[in-house]
Amino acid sequence: MHELSIATGILDRALSAAEAHGADRIEALRIELGEATHVNQRQLRFCLETSLEGTIAAGARVRIDEITPQAACDCGWNGRPQTLEIALSYAPDVRCPECDSRATLVRGRECRLASIDVPDEAYRSTETPETTPTERQT
Amino acid sequence: MTYHTTMSRLRQLDSRFERIFGTLLGLGPLRLHRFGHDHDHDEPASDVEADVLAEVRERAGDVHERLSHEHDVFAVELAGSTGGGKTMLIERLIERADEGERIGVVVGDVTGEDDAERLRAHGVAVENINTGRECHLDPMVVAEALDGFDLEELDTLYIENVGNMVCPADFPLGANRRVLVVSTTEGDDVVRKHPMLVQTADVVVVNKVDLADAVGTSVERIRSDVGAVSPETPMLEIAAKTGQGIDGVVDVLDESRTEHHSHRTAPPHHGDDTESNHTGDSGH
Ligand SMILES: Nc1nc2c(ncn2[C@@H]2O[C@H](COP(=O)(O)OP(=O)(O)OP(=O)(O)O)[C@@H](O)[C@H]2O)c(=O)[nH]1
Ligand SMILES: [Mg+2]
Ligand SMILES: [Zn+2]
Ligand SMILES: [Zn+2]
Ligand SMILES: [Zn+2]
Repeated sequence: MHELSIATGILDRALSAAEAHGADRIEALRIELGEATHVNQRQLRFCLETSLEGTIAAGARVRIDEITPQAACDCGWNGRPQTLEIALSYAPDVRCPECDSRATLVRGRECRLASIDVPDEAYRSTETPETTPTERQT
Repeated sequence: MTYHTTMSRLRQLDSRFERIFGTLLGLGPLRLHRFGHDHDHDEPASDVEADVLAEVRERAGDVHERLSHEHDVFAVELAGSTGGGKTMLIERLIERADEGERIGVVVGDVTGEDDAERLRAHGVAVENINTGRECHLDPMVVAEALDGFDLEELDTLYIENVGNMVCPADFPLGANRRVLVVSTTEGDDVVRKHPMLVQTADVVVVNKVDLADAVGTSVERIRSDVGAVSPETPMLEIAAKTGQGIDGVVDVLDESRTEHHSHRTAPPHHGDDTESNHTGDSGH
């Protein structure tokens, strides 16, 4: 159960990013979670939502997108690895389909805070925009 | 908290958040600004983004930097299931150490000092880490434990992880090599059950082969599974209790030790933060 410490790390980062942008409220967080990790999505959501309570992100919407693994091989091949058939739990097949040697995972091992949404008023009080304004999507 | 309570709490939270969003949406569109990125990974990373697992890998890179680069200590992590024989294998390796080899051990244990005491009896420096609620070691607690040693006075450091076949896959510790110790008493589907941990190992050791027949475990099946799950990762059969096969472990580790300096991962200071899973990957 290391989802709690991971959630804490994500929340800390979200709070300091909000502060850096002059926002006193976070409405939503988006997280990218690699499929080739042992971080359980539901447990991560639970831990995050619980840790948000009492912060400026209380009640914020948490969206967790699963990231499909990508592998690359020294021979030049890269792509989405197959799922290992013989495994009893998910694992990518790290054998290169082109040359049979071992490929390296380049995506799928992340647990990343990808973005936060803050209210418009907060944003107006800060300087130059770095990203274009986006409306809440459902 | 039991799994059951967790799940029911989860369901409550889910419905609560649905309600909140219902209300927000009822108020009409709320203008928001998004910091960070959407789905295009070619955008430059913004100051919002943070990959906590990549940060763990970076901390592991720091441990590696401190041990290998600054102090020339060869570090070997032993991970594996509870009771698989990690401590006993370390004891056997200590017994076979070269004359004058200066050894330290970091032991992770949920509670107690039992393993630490067993190892201290061999006359080596031991730092015990009680992980308490945490079910695995991470590079941050290892870094703290390192403060307990005079690293200049060490040649080899063994790190015994907490018995756990899951979490350590996400938490490299910064050792030069990870040895995964499984045992025949866990059955022969142990590799299929925990494939992602096997993929992070540099060597798989199947211990308690003396019991294989008695418990009906096919070591050959484990061997073919390792080949399928983690190609190019060597597998050794041992019985730590009788000493069978320990020479093979010593040889594999000695080989890695003599490489210029060995990396099990490509630490951040040598390039990107992606793991190179190749056994024997020797960085620079
Ligand atoms: N028959 C047999 N028993 C063994 C062998 N190796 C270890 N054992 C026994 O297995 C038990 C566990 O060994 P440990 O070395 O304590 O295992 P561990 O992996 O360090 O265990 P934890 O630290 O509790 O996760 C002990 O009772 C050992 O005597 C072996 O090769 N054969
Ligand atoms: Mg032990
Ligand atoms: Zn290839
Ligand atoms: Zn290095
Ligand atoms: Zn854990």
